[in-house]
Amino acid sequence: MTQHALPDRGPRSAVFAPLSGAARSMQVAQRLTDAILLGVIRPGERLPTEAELAKRFGVAIVTAREALSEIREAGLVETRRGREGGSFVLASEDTPEQVLMARLRSISRIELADVGTYEATLCAGAAERAAELASPEEATRLATWWEGADFSSAQSAARNQGGLLLEISVAAQSPRLVREQIRFQAEFGQLLWLGLGEGGVREQVSALNSEIVQAIGSGDAGRARAVVRAELKILTTWLLKTKERLEAAA
Amino acid sequence: MSQLHEVAEQLGEVFEGYFSALHELRVAVEAGLARGDGIDQLVLDFVGPRLMDPATTVVGAGFIGGPGSAAGESIHFAWWLGPLEDNPLLGTTTEVTRLDLAAREYADYLRDFTNMEWYSVPESTGDRHITGPYVDHLCTCDYMLTLTSPVGSPALGVVGLDILVRQIEPGVLHLLRSLQGPAALLSSTGRIIASTSEHWELGASLQDHEGVRVPGTSLVVAKIFN
Repeated sequence: MTQHALPDRGPRSAVFAPLSGAARSMQVAQRLTDAILLGVIRPGERLPTEAELAKRFGVAIVTAREALSEIREAGLVETRRGREGGSFVLASEDTPEQVLMARLRSISRIELADVGTYEATLCAGAAERAAELASPEEATRLATWWEGADFSSAQSAARNQGGLLLEISVAAQSPRLVREQIRFQAEFGQLLWLGLGEGGVREQVSALNSEIVQAIGSGDAGRARAVVRAELKILTTWLLKTKERLEAAA
Repeated sequence: MSQLHEVAEQLGEVFEGYFSALHELRVAVEAGLARGDGIDQLVLDFVGPRLMDPATTVVGAGFIGGPGSAAGESIHFAWWLGPLEDNPLLGTTTEVTRLDLAAREYADYLRDFTNMEWYSVPESTGDRHITGPYVDHLCTCDYMLTLTSPVGSPALGVVGLDILVRQIEPGVLHLLRSLQGPAALLSSTGRIIASTSEHWELGASLQDHEGVRVPGTSLVVAKIFN
């Protein structure tokens, strides 16, 4: 009997579809854009060189070069030649609103909502396990770290938000959850934390973080799960609301 | 001697092997610091060949200097990782790789490494210590035990090595199976490192047990009453 090869169509061909170079350079460009938007990389700062970026992102140098040229065209950086040269973040002439607008326009509502759903599912599961498994010492260490975590500016809040959710995955004792959290944050963290630029959102999320840490410490898995979902809902809703506001006004 | 004590002795020998390697590194680092030698090269010369040994179960090792051990740094990592398979941060590597914290931006939230258990405990007690089992997110992103020992007195830093739990699991299980009924190797807080019971797995802690301390460590080998 002859073995028939499956036709290379549909989901099967998608599995083996090569990762396109263009898509990778766009991913790198978006991560850099998000970091600049959130102020993690500030105006006047020099970006790493093409070779350094390539190494950090694990892409080819040509891909890093394309990404730099994309954000240069978007007016986010300028490239200076010479010994003191490099790519420098511009103090944007665009208002932060315009830059934010460009970023939120590049991603559909469906994708935004799905990014939120994915992270909420990942973190709610991790928080539940963390509450069940954390030893008193681990819970105390988490609480001590959180008490000292700076949430006063958008940048520090973003850094510590990412840190807290990573620590929760660590407390869940699962290498896979930790790896997935690191991967997710590298790709979408800066985007998802954009709402922390607003003082009111920052206060709400900060209060919920305290509740999560407390729930983990007292072994209340149900509450840890629920509060994590609630805070990711706030951050996702902020993105959807802002996208709508900016697009409706345009 | 009871069976439990016998297994504890055997496990103690296994960990003594790791700690004696750590002691050698400690002596080398202390001598190097006293001579004012370049500490990074010295550590690499010691750990490099050992990490490349195909038979090793050590996946990372080195020296971590505390405040004041290196000019202009609050903490100094002279830490290398052995060959890695499909690491989320470094991919697959065939040589030793130096730990580069600057490339781990997600870890910026860690304000003070000297607060970490693998640093603070040996520094404050002056004694060797086993951290974990825990998921490390700085080096391998895997479940591991970290063995550390203070350097100098008072401590200027620590020398340490990382062991993947899944790599020592077969050997530990082999010893545990010589006991009658389900048994486990536990951390000092009762967390399961390896167990022969299907009811006690990754991350769980066991409180109700009859246990014996593994000599020279804070670990406990215990029979499980399900």
